[in-house]
Amino acid sequence: MTANLLAVLDALPYLLQGGLVTIGLVVGAMGLGLVLGVPFAVGQVYGLPWVRRVIGFYVWFFRGVPLLVLLFLFYFGLFSLMNINLSAFAAALIVLGLISAAYQSQIFRGAILSLPEGQFKAAKALGMSDTRAILFVVLPQALRLSLPGWSNEYSIVLKDSAVAYALGVAEVMARSHFVASRTYYHMPLYFTAGLIFLCLTYFGTRGLRMLEEKVKIHGYSR
Amino acid sequence: MAEKGPVLRAEGLSKQYGARQVLRGVSLSVNEGDLKVLIGPSGAGKSTLLQCINFLVLPDKGQVFLDGREILHTRRKELCAYRQKVGMIFQDFNLFDHLTALGNVEIGLTRVRSMKKGAARERAVMELERVGLGEHAGKYPAQLSGGQKQRVSIARALAMDPKVMLLDEPTSALDPELITEVLSVIRNLVSEGMTMIIATHQIGFAGDLANEIIFMEDGAIVEQGPPAKILTRADCERTREFCSKITSPYGESR
Repeated sequence: MTANLLAVLDALPYLLQGGLVTIGLVVGAMGLGLVLGVPFAVGQVYGLPWVRRVIGFYVWFFRGVPLLVLLFLFYFGLFSLMNINLSAFAAALIVLGLISAAYQSQIFRGAILSLPEGQFKAAKALGMSDTRAILFVVLPQALRLSLPGWSNEYSIVLKDSAVAYALGVAEVMARSHFVASRTYYHMPLYFTAGLIFLCLTYFGTRGLRMLEEKVKIHGYSR
Repeated sequence: MAEKGPVLRAEGLSKQYGARQVLRGVSLSVNEGDLKVLIGPSGAGKSTLLQCINFLVLPDKGQVFLDGREILHTRRKELCAYRQKVGMIFQDFNLFDHLTALGNVEIGLTRVRSMKKGAARERAVMELERVGLGEHAGKYPAQLSGGQKQRVSIARALAMDPKVMLLDEPTSALDPELITEVLSVIRNLVSEGMTMIIATHQIGFAGDLANEIIFMEDGAIVEQGPPAKILTRADCERTREFCSKITSPYGESR
């Protein structure tokens, strides 16, 4: 028991540094997913038929191919084919972000569709262009409604980020494996890795829950 | 048209949804300060007509003129400029749920007319006071009653300085008690000389204030004329039948 504890304590600073790498991956991927996901959702709801088709294809592709396949496809295949020299970290961040964009776009799309259509009409009746109506009337409400789904997406991306280990990104999982295969303290080390992920999920979803509460529209009982 | 013609004129508006012809070449015009009331059974095309007039529904055929100038709805800037001059009130209010009453009135001023924050606020407060909601400025739509919501939506439209207002059954979604407060706001607008087209089932109100009542059925205008005529001695049998039903809805005679 003490040996196990000592092994964990020894490795802890090293594993926690991996936690920072994991946080970096997740924050970056969620950010990229947000930046792409919002316009994708808007395009899929309000766009011309060909725009909708292109986005539909994107979503189908990134939701349909396994994460590990995409990581290898981009890192060893596409990026090197295009002569883009990316670190494993950057490649994993981009791939996680591109996948998350597909999922996030569907979260936002659902939220946009759940808004009463009349508000968009009312905005146009005031003389707003479609763009302004989307920017000032639709999105402020849709993004609020998206927060619970977004929090869910966060916990999924967080756990998916462990697969970046396969590219050699020194995140929590990679470091745990590295230490465990040298010290043979498999059980306590992977247990610790799991705990770190659990903590990150807890604090992340709690933070988002607080944000949700903060931006809540008054008088809406939800 | 140097002569003072109608403020708003619609010519031959037609709209088809699939196989259903919702509007069959409807024409109408409103002079400054006029109140025209559209009546007719549900599905007659009143709502579609109003929405075609400001192109929220694109008519298949027909033209709309404001101050004698045809509106080319395919030119986006022109369309947006035109819509600013045509206030629209909806049956279910369509307030922006994420904004306070004040925010709802302000947003058109700041985001469409590019007014400065301070000036927009002043104007919005004034418009809310005009509809008797000065002390509710900070409330969100979910905290307001139906009648209050509709009054906010009227203030929102008024803030844009419209030349004409289109009201699509503004009291149909309201409890009976709340109808009065909205009608009295509309009554004030009439006395201030606002030009309006209103679709409503409030026949007493229409009889009191309208310059003309237009009876629509099945996507076309059946008959139009001054209230006294349409409500009591219409030429058309169908108009008489409809009017007698809505003036005494439970069959008793008045």
